[in-house]
Amino acid sequence: MNIHPRPNPIIAALYMLRDIDVDVVIIHGPSGCGFMASRMIEDAGIRVMTTAMNDDDLIFGASGKLEDALREAERRFSPRSIAVIGTCSSMIIGEDMEASIRRSGVGCRTVSVDCHGCMGNNTAGAIMAVEASAKAGLIPKEEADRQKYLLSMATQMEKERGMASVQYLQPSNGPTKMGVAKKIIGCLSNNGKLAVVSISKKELAYRFSDLFLAVDQACKELGGKAVYIANLDPQKGLPRIRGYAADILSELSAKGISADIVGGLDEYAVIGEDMKEAVDRHSPDLIVIAGIPHAYPDLDKSQILITDQPRQLSNYLSKGYDAVGEISSHQMVMNVRKIVPTETGDTIREMLRDIS
Amino acid sequence: MRRIALYGKGGIGKSTVASNITVSLSKKGYRVLQIGCDPKADSTKLLLGGASNMTILDAMKNGRPVHDAISRGSEGCYCAECGGPRPGSGCAGRGIIAAFEQLEKNNIIETISPDVLIYDVLGDVVCGGFAMPIRNGYAKDVFIVSSGEMMSLYAANNIATAISDLKDVGYATLRGMIQNSRGIDEEDSIVDKAVLEIGTTVVKRIPRERTVQQCEAIGKTVVEGAPDSQLSKIYAGLAEAILGLSSDDEGGMRIV
Ligand SMILES: Nc1ncnc2c1ncn2[C@@H]1O[C@H](COP(=O)(O)OP(=O)(O)OP(=O)(O)O)[C@@H](O)[C@H]1O
Ligand SMILES: [Mg+2]
Repeated sequence: MNIHPRPNPIIAALYMLRDIDVDVVIIHGPSGCGFMASRMIEDAGIRVMTTAMNDDDLIFGASGKLEDALREAERRFSPRSIAVIGTCSSMIIGEDMEASIRRSGVGCRTVSVDCHGCMGNNTAGAIMAVEASAKAGLIPKEEADRQKYLLSMATQMEKERGMASVQYLQPSNGPTKMGVAKKIIGCLSNNGKLAVVSISKKELAYRFSDLFLAVDQACKELGGKAVYIANLDPQKGLPRIRGYAADILSELSAKGISADIVGGLDEYAVIGEDMKEAVDRHSPDLIVIAGIPHAYPDLDKSQILITDQPRQLSNYLSKGYDAVGEISSHQMVMNVRKIVPTETGDTIREMLRDIS
Repeated sequence: MRRIALYGKGGIGKSTVASNITVSLSKKGYRVLQIGCDPKADSTKLLLGGASNMTILDAMKNGRPVHDAISRGSEGCYCAECGGPRPGSGCAGRGIIAAFEQLEKNNIIETISPDVLIYDVLGDVVCGGFAMPIRNGYAKDVFIVSSGEMMSLYAANNIATAISDLKDVGYATLRGMIQNSRGIDEEDSIVDKAVLEIGTTVVKRIPRERTVQQCEAIGKTVVEGAPDSQLSKIYAGLAEAILGLSSDDEGGMRIV
């Protein structure tokens, strides 16, 4: 059991519905439920509403409020699709969201996700969202099955090696980026070969791909050789996620950078072995692994690990890895179509300015 | 103030027993408040001549003062109903919790300052909400109403277990069983055997009599509708016995 804060199934469902490109999400519960994540999702262009349940609704039920919210969503946004997701409060009292949808008379496609916070793994909420979306015809069944498989693998990975593997992790901001930037610059200055791996989860690739840009510049200025390996297959996954990969690839190629592509942006939990194989083929002197480093097999202490999660960072640091954190990356990539600079990348750039 | 809770299987006669106790004690000059803890809100109807009053939760929902949900009934007793959702929606258990919060927040108990507070609680202790009276220091002395029928004794046993499970956190103690007879064979000895197993005693045996229905038909308790009947005396004796078995403590809605 984990006793540090972790995302719950409601939040996981919310993110999954964003990936599926639902237009409006109505959270059937108290107004504060999931509000941080809701604001992030709104940055990504999804409209989020709440039925703002109060104590009266908890006692008497709130199906009428949900019907009103559904009609209001349709009136305001003329959406193609609306998803309703449950919360602890609405699900404990057994609200029938499907019935409210029917009674509301809304004409667009609707998805009802009966999730709540106490379902165990947060991916349980995402899986419910996938199933409900397939049922509503928003995604094909094959894609739903693929997503469910990937989610179950992600859960397993988190339990084995991620934040769910330790009872309590104290968040950490880690060291400055100076140490790892020096190592990277040192490797290239000595004419060494550097492998930069981005094994990123979905939109976070917009940030971690910056390491390719910074290292490429360092390579041009200092010599040495760099190879890039990334899970940026633009033919894998839901359209929104493919779009992220396409954005990043076109930006990289505009800058003359080409990467070995291993898997899609939603496949981080299942492509570790393939990534390692791709990396090993280059026999690099130094490996930088950014995104979800623990998705990469057999980590060792000569490698540089870069994560965005303060707790994951403290997990790596406690095990003696050379790791830094690109903290708060998620907020920065919710509403972008271009690569966002990292602190590590900027530190490299600053050191390059000093050298020249 | 005495803080008494009546539990028992659905339909066994809790509200009838509670109302007769309330009227008996009121007649003797005690200030009694009976609180129905049941969404169907029918605990106090015999105290109000068959009428029903606004519930605490209705008051809360409609923004009315909670005090408006307290009415005066037979012999000047005080009546309140928690109320709750209509069947099939919301959460009745949460309703009990919220109704208690309302009573406390508005100092209702302090204002009325009853000598005896009687909680009439629905059926089994199905969830935390219905255990409220026996938790958090609300009720102190609990009585189970049961007949000699198997299902009723089964429920009684479950309730006794719930009370003893909560013993370390609450203040409530099981003080005895009120036998509301059904008229089955060997009923007294069946009940005697059951209380022995549960580890309690029979406080009073109430016979099954048509008088109850006859009084009910005119919206009255037996104590009021048939004051000279033998049954009325039995209820009065029960009320006396309950006073003897319960303790009188300081404090507001909860024991300090
Ligand atoms: N001693 C008795 N003799 C005859 N009838 C009785 C007796 N006690 C109760 N009853 C009858 O049983 C019916 C149910 O009683 P009552 O409403 O008091 O039960 P309850 O336990 O409060 O039920 P609920 O669990 O539904 O609240 C009443 O309508 C009443 O007529
Ligand atoms: Mg009753």
